[in-house]
Amino acid sequence: MTSSRQRPLAGINRRQLLAGTAGLSALTMLPVKAWAEGTQLNVRAYLEPDNFDPLNASGFLEELLYGCIYRKLIQYTPGDDWGYQNDLADTIEQTSPTTIAFTMKPGQMWSDGYGEITAEDIKYSMERHMVEENNSRIKPDLGPFSHVEVTGTHSGIIHLDKPFAPIWTIALPYLAGTVVCKRATEEAGGKLDSAVPPTVAGPYRVVEQRLGERWVLERNPDFSGPTPDFERVDLVVIVDESAAEIAKEAGDVDFTAVGPGSVQRLQDTPPEGTTLSLHPSLAYYWIGLNVNHPKFEDIRVRQAVQHAIDVPAILQAAFFDVADPATGIVAPGLIGHRPEGLIPPQADFAKARALLDEAGIDRLEINIDVLNNVTATTTAQVMQAMMSQAGIDLNISVHESGSFWSLGVESDGDRWKDLELTLKRFSMTPDPYYATAWFVSDQIGDWNWEQFSNPEFDKLHEEALSETDTDKRDAMYRRMQDLMEESGAYRFITHGATPNLYDTDIVPATRPDGLPLVQFFRKA
Amino acid sequence: MLHYTLQRAALAVAIVFVAISALYMVMITLPGDPTSVLLGPRATPEIRAEFRAQMGLDDPVLMQLAQFWGRVLSGDLGTDYYRDRPVADAVMGALPHTVALVVGAIVWSATLGILLGAFSADNRNTWLDRVSGVLSVGFIAAPSFVVALYALLFFAVTLGWFPTIGAGEPGDLGSRLYHLALPSFAIGLAWVGYVARIVRASMLEALGENYIRTARAFGLPRRKVIYSYALRVAILPAVQVLGVGIGGMLSSAVFAEIVFSRPGIGSLIYDSVSGRNYPLVMGAMLVAIGFFVTCALVADLINAALDPRHRKLS
Repeated sequence: MTSSRQRPLAGINRRQLLAGTAGLSALTMLPVKAWAEGTQLNVRAYLEPDNFDPLNASGFLEELLYGCIYRKLIQYTPGDDWGYQNDLADTIEQTSPTTIAFTMKPGQMWSDGYGEITAEDIKYSMERHMVEENNSRIKPDLGPFSHVEVTGTHSGIIHLDKPFAPIWTIALPYLAGTVVCKRATEEAGGKLDSAVPPTVAGPYRVVEQRLGERWVLERNPDFSGPTPDFERVDLVVIVDESAAEIAKEAGDVDFTAVGPGSVQRLQDTPPEGTTLSLHPSLAYYWIGLNVNHPKFEDIRVRQAVQHAIDVPAILQAAFFDVADPATGIVAPGLIGHRPEGLIPPQADFAKARALLDEAGIDRLEINIDVLNNVTATTTAQVMQAMMSQAGIDLNISVHESGSFWSLGVESDGDRWKDLELTLKRFSMTPDPYYATAWFVSDQIGDWNWEQFSNPEFDKLHEEALSETDTDKRDAMYRRMQDLMEESGAYRFITHGATPNLYDTDIVPATRPDGLPLVQFFRKA
Repeated sequence: MLHYTLQRAALAVAIVFVAISALYMVMITLPGDPTSVLLGPRATPEIRAEFRAQMGLDDPVLMQLAQFWGRVLSGDLGTDYYRDRPVADAVMGALPHTVALVVGAIVWSATLGILLGAFSADNRNTWLDRVSGVLSVGFIAAPSFVVALYALLFFAVTLGWFPTIGAGEPGDLGSRLYHLALPSFAIGLAWVGYVARIVRASMLEALGENYIRTARAFGLPRRKVIYSYALRVAILPAVQVLGVGIGGMLSSAVFAEIVFSRPGIGSLIYDSVSGRNYPLVMGAMLVAIGFFVTCALVADLINAALDPRHRKLS
């Protein structure tokens, strides 16, 4: 009998083992990545779009898809400044505070034999959001929109019940301005919930939805504009930011946003063939104090908390110094942005301590509720470490998203009454009305978790909606942010930043806040 | 065997019923209003009210639970109102990816684990045995998500051998398997250690049995004795461990599906729990638990078929 050491496992000798290893190695080097190359563009989406019908749209993910397959009268202009450019519109202008007249470019076609895009399609697409039974999720974006008067095959007038400045910034160039085909939608029963839209008008059309993985688009042969550079565009669903970054470095996606923590490394040692771009975000992060909580009824206590929060330290630790301090809820570049806040970003612990002394408080113990992501927990930990210098002990409660986003909602129990501090981030569209809308008195018990209520603020919010004079509107929104800060209920942190990593052989097109406009992407 | 099978099947049904009912009760008491989470800030109160009514959230909890089981018994898993699609479609679209992932993990763990365990037993008390022991424990100790991340960085980014994301091109088996290799390896690696340790222990036990000694005495080739007779018996406990381990693999699949951006039941459940998408959570959990219980049942039945003593032990 031979010993086990003399007989290799399963009778494989050294020569056979080496041959097998070599064979396996060769197999792994096959050009299996060919599918990802050529004229295919892979763009990362952080979640899946909801569906093809603008009625059910909820945010930018749908815009990412709709921008590729649908058209609008006007679209955001790619670049560093907010503006719009004509798409279907040949001319479009505000003819009175409540009317907008437009003419359309002739010969713009729907795909798959659905004919020309006409003013009837514009009318149908906008008015269906106002139909009660349709339950449009984005109806508020259209504000006081009334109806569209069709004056010709290619012309019409948009009527508003009262002036609405955001129609140019939020409604027409964004989700609510998306044009669907009247005939195709009616044939589908009024809603576009089919697996693939029956017709499209944009540069791409949907080939396949691989749910949870990717949405596959290809060139729309019936597109009336210039032929896009890419034969195929995949919107690749990658939830995790780190996974997206790895996928980019491995060449499996061509364009993705990356986390702020990666910016320094990517700037110092950029992966070969990639470019990093950094854009200021429109979103806003802030610490909110519930003014109706017994601990914060005295405004001096609220002001003490404001002064005890050191924004630069938070930005260094949680945002890796790639974002600037916010002066309010309206980002730079938008109407209503304040160059400076009332309270400097740096903490003033002596002042905070003095305010607590004035309020007769020796040691203040408070709680902050935050989301369970790294940015939020790091922010809270920095606050906890620094606020103790002012005599404030901060406890941190971490929540998963489902639990967190209902903390201040009245219909979900009594937790909204007991909130003390919260760290929140709201996304934003390029109009200040979208920011102030959440802080009016009506929003208490819903999204106004600070329970901030100020009649002047509410009045200004209503008036600014209808104000068409840009300078006056700018002053109104600045005043509103002053009121927020004066209340002691808010400590503004930052707007954040959007770092994008992309292949050098593509020319990406983004909005000023860094979000991709895939329909305008080109080859380098 | 029939009695045993029926007994086990009844127990499996009871486990699924209790687990899902308990889960429903826990889920419904979690803080987080689905209408706020799902519909976002721009939804009007009217839309939210209609959404609550559609989801049956205004009914008492027990009635909701009864309605859920009523629908399940009639073959309807409900509707994902958020995306306006049948839950069954969403779950059945994701299930094959997770099954493939788990099967891939089993293949990795069984193949490598049995080889490592047999090799270890064959070289017992040598340095090779000790190295294999260290490796096995190391595999067990390494969390799946850490393995997944490092496997991704090393094999996909550094070496460029495997893709980092996705499940491959539909209809292309090669592409599917290629995309499956790394995530299933990440999940299966921990089980390589378990299987190797169990196979080694059972094989050492088997090698000391009389029938092995008899086979050797009859002059049968050593390889045949070890790998045909001893190993056949020694892998039985490993089959049972892998059957029960499917639950653990399903848990690991959540991480693997997120890290590798693959569709599947794990990521579907993760997303739907975060979004408080109750119909989808329940449908996906029912299928996941059903899958787990079925696998454990099949492992039990295989064991009972291979070794009749198990029937009596039960």
